[in-house]
Amino acid sequence: MKIWKKLGLVALSAMMVLGMAACGSKSSSADSKKHTITFMYRGGEDEKKAYGQAIKQFEKTHKDVKVKIIVTSADNYATKLQAAISGNKVPDVFYIEQNNLLAYVNNGVLKDISKEVKKSNVDLDNIWSYGVNSYRTNGKIVGKGPLYGLPKDVGPMSLGYNKTMFEKNNIPLPDKDKPYTWDQFIEVAKKLTKDTNGDGKIDQYATGFNVNWSLQAFVWSNGGDWTNKNKTKVTINTPQFAEALQYFADFQNKYHITPSAKEAQSLDTYQRWMKGELAFFPVGPWDLSTYNKLKFDYDLMPWPAGKTGKSATYVGSLGIGVSNKTKYSQDAVELAEYLSTNKKAQKTLVDAGVQIPNLKDMAQIWADDKSLKPANREEFLQIVNDYGRAMPAATTYNSEWYDVFMTDIQPVLDGKVTAKEYVKKEQPKMQTKLDAANQQLKATAQK
Amino acid sequence: MTEETVVDKKKKTFFHHDSKLYRDEHRAALLMIVLPVIGFTVFTLLPLIYSIFASFTNWNGLGEMTFTGWRNFQLMIKDNYFWQTLGNTFYLMLGIPIGLILSFLLASALSRGLKGTTFFRVIYYIPVISSLAAIAIMWQWAYNGDYGLVNQVLALVGIKGPNWLQNVHTVKPAIIAMSVWKGLGYSMLLYLAAIQSVPKSFYEAADLDGANAFQKFKNITWPMCRPVTFFLIITNVIGGSQIFTEINIMTPTGGPEYSSATIVWYIWQKAFKNFQMGYASAMSMILGILIFIITALQFYVNRKSDYKLS
Repeated sequence: MKIWKKLGLVALSAMMVLGMAACGSKSSSADSKKHTITFMYRGGEDEKKAYGQAIKQFEKTHKDVKVKIIVTSADNYATKLQAAISGNKVPDVFYIEQNNLLAYVNNGVLKDISKEVKKSNVDLDNIWSYGVNSYRTNGKIVGKGPLYGLPKDVGPMSLGYNKTMFEKNNIPLPDKDKPYTWDQFIEVAKKLTKDTNGDGKIDQYATGFNVNWSLQAFVWSNGGDWTNKNKTKVTINTPQFAEALQYFADFQNKYHITPSAKEAQSLDTYQRWMKGELAFFPVGPWDLSTYNKLKFDYDLMPWPAGKTGKSATYVGSLGIGVSNKTKYSQDAVELAEYLSTNKKAQKTLVDAGVQIPNLKDMAQIWADDKSLKPANREEFLQIVNDYGRAMPAATTYNSEWYDVFMTDIQPVLDGKVTAKEYVKKEQPKMQTKLDAANQQLKATAQK
Repeated sequence: MTEETVVDKKKKTFFHHDSKLYRDEHRAALLMIVLPVIGFTVFTLLPLIYSIFASFTNWNGLGEMTFTGWRNFQLMIKDNYFWQTLGNTFYLMLGIPIGLILSFLLASALSRGLKGTTFFRVIYYIPVISSLAAIAIMWQWAYNGDYGLVNQVLALVGIKGPNWLQNVHTVKPAIIAMSVWKGLGYSMLLYLAAIQSVPKSFYEAADLDGANAFQKFKNITWPMCRPVTFFLIITNVIGGSQIFTEINIMTPTGGPEYSSATIVWYIWQKAFKNFQMGYASAMSMILGILIFIITALQFYVNRKSDYKLS
């Protein structure tokens, strides 16, 4: 046989096989009238499992819908989603990170789901207003306007303490309603920092705060902030801000109540906390499934309060949004509603220990349940309801201006640069980036 | 007619362009070529053209592009991070000459036919076939300030090592050392092949002329290896300009004060994190042009590198 003919035959038969396969799938879907919507999300192992379960439950109540799941690791999510959007293959339903909301809305990626949600019998008043408002926007600011998503969860960052360690050292437990002052905090911390096995090396520290996730609590409770309210001006060069940053850096350099960066690298503070070698550590709801298995007892407390006398911390959130281009908007919105607000789905997720309930009434019951650990879960609810704030860059067009702050901060933490010098030097850099972000926002909002 | 003439005739038709066999084979060949050409067009050429266009626009990667002319390039001149990351990238290329010299020395040692040559060849080649991500994680541990392997070894001789990846001054040398280690086996193997393919007669002739070992090295071995050196420099420079994976794994935030952030890492940050796909495209254009110029320069400098026996 001629080569040409041979090749032609191979190609033809390949096409036939493909063609048959295509016909096959078409006809079978037509039979049952089933259609597929895609859902893209991210998370750790426990979270993936819990959400997979919730989606199965959804499919049981929606017989005609099949949910195709695309799941990524937390690190890869943003890149993969953006690639999908650029390639015009937006999943029907997907997680939205708070700081991407404005960009996604202004570029027509997300669907306005106000009407659909109103029509369905979802009681928005029973969902954390912080959660719902994080996904409202008029294209200029976040918090007002049509609804572009529902909260997947709200993530209050509370402070945990090692109860067993307190008891062993005969130190009175922290009050759950009255925060420590900064001086009190240092006093207690110094007592808890010590060499427990007598080898001359300190092996039990009070704190081990990562600047990325803990500095906010100190800055805010001291009356400082990264920007003004309108997010137009970087305000790190205030005395309150500098004082808080200096206080934070002094944990390592002056008070020596925290492992140095070098020590922390060898055994990071998360591991130290889990081994019971740290007295205080931040605790988020997603940590509970892990921390409840630890060998020591722990509980939650308010963050130490600076000049304002009030505790402060941040609440994160992830949202579930619907693509503007989805063919099955009804089902897509229903899936978002189901995961965010359905009682059964919420129970599955809360039982898995990966989040607190989105529904207020359910959350109260959960917080009051005496059989669960840690005892003061009420603190989470207070943060969401009362004193928690959004991360500084959560509602700006991008987070570049804020990243600069964290990129350059190491010399301050190492005690080589004072906080005062640092904020003075960093402010103009950050301001330029924030201006650029706001300009971009303006340009996209006008369209 | 004799048999010979028949064969002759067949030969003629075989090479004749109108022959059926020729046409069939020609078609088949085209078909084979078409596949990679399509692949190249779809996955390389079109994105390249698209990216050239995007570099002249303000585009966030999600919505519409607005044409802004040279604006991105003007912004780049004033962007400190652009210059810093570009500088870091070139700094990291200092590892290339180091790697070449080391691998050449190793290859020379291994080409002497000592016992266990194969064993060492395998050992040196293992990093080359290992996944870069795995290697980066392993070295990250080795560089650990307190309990890392590197500092433990240094402690044996009484040196207190720094916290390699968290220190502005040591993070780049640390990464250089890692990439030299990773690339050693590959360069060594190529050098080994080059050294072993030098005709023995050259050395015999040199011996007769009374050349010493250094002269033999300088006038025979090294020139004979020049094409390999040239090839390695070109591929290493191109690879070095695009260094990303190890940076992203070992210093996920670009290192202390951006001291290990490379240009590709910065481009990626801009494109996928900060919604500046247009600006990121412009930076990759500049990077592409830079690589092109450097490569062209090298070709110019090495235009006489082809060794001819005659």
